[in-house]
Amino acid sequence: MSTQYTELQLDALRELANIGSGTASTALSGMLGRSVDISVPNAQALPFADAVDATGDAESEMTGIVLGIQGDMGGTVLLLIAPSDADAICRMLGLEPGDEYAVSALGEIGNIVGASYINALASMTGMELEPTPPATATDMLGSIVTSVLATAALTGDVALLLDSNLVVEGEDCSISFLLVPDQGGVDELLSRLGLS
Amino acid sequence: MAAAETMVRMGELAVSRVPGHVLVSLGLGSCIGLALIDRKMGIAGLAHIVLPQSQGHAHENPRKFADLAVPEMLAELEQIGARRIRLEAVLVGGASMFAVSSAGLEVGQRNEAAVRELLLKERIPVVAAATGGSKGRTVRVDVARSAVTVREAGGKHTELLLGGGMMAVAA
Repeated sequence: MSTQYTELQLDALRELANIGSGTASTALSGMLGRSVDISVPNAQALPFADAVDATGDAESEMTGIVLGIQGDMGGTVLLLIAPSDADAICRMLGLEPGDEYAVSALGEIGNIVGASYINALASMTGMELEPTPPATATDMLGSIVTSVLATAALTGDVALLLDSNLVVEGEDCSISFLLVPDQGGVDELLSRLGLS
Repeated sequence: MAAAETMVRMGELAVSRVPGHVLVSLGLGSCIGLALIDRKMGIAGLAHIVLPQSQGHAHENPRKFADLAVPEMLAELEQIGARRIRLEAVLVGGASMFAVSSAGLEVGQRNEAAVRELLLKERIPVVAAATGGSKGRTVRVDVARSAVTVREAGGKHTELLLGGGMMAVAA
């Protein structure tokens, strides 16, 4: 098993993403004091260039918060927030968008949401997974996504994208979520699910 | 900008001698956009390099690695009439998008170093560069004009290599 996944495997990964983002939405909801819905997650195994295209317009401005995953499965979790949505989240927290507290608050949101996603994955699969501290960048979407994928590019040509959306109720505001396991990480994930 | 833009996406490369053609890599982060240009012939190539070394990984797509992409691009350029001795290089990208993070994300600097070393070995001069830092960049290579422009997020296009023999070095 190297680059191609069966429908059954993708279904299982989608379900993992679903539960992971469900846990993450609860964490976000607690922080914002609003209810947060999740979209049906997507699981796609795509060649890198197509994976980048699948995330959206490469030149659009986006805030990305990245957390590494260490332990039984290597990988990266990337949260993407459009600038207007990032501003909306800051206002919900009572912060002025753009000031230094707002930037660190966004990083902290990413940290808590991303870490709860990773913890959910860990408890579902029985793996030891540790999130690394978050790093934040606001820049072109393409430059953020390619830089994250580059870390997975050495050992494979296909990126597994597990993405879902967290939508804050009553606000036109969402966070999308990308889990990019390293090549060996996907195999590990599938074998824990009994689907390797 | 000319209408005929060819997207050179992550791990891809393209060469052209068609007047009006523009080779484009959108949103380079830690990746390097390497443009090689033969002004006399109006030939240019652009590679969107992801990692410095293949380290023996034999993959479907060798073009994502600097050590395999550069020889491949040289061969393709020569095939359409470029001369190696006339080639000039322009480098764009190699940023560290996420400043405070694990060592694994310092790929940008390693990419640039690897590409520069390969070019030195081939005796191809780097005539302009916009590399490093923490901002993403888009690069456009106008084939017939031998012109290279770069743009950062929210910014304007800046001429990095002017068509017609003049040079400007940024960053």
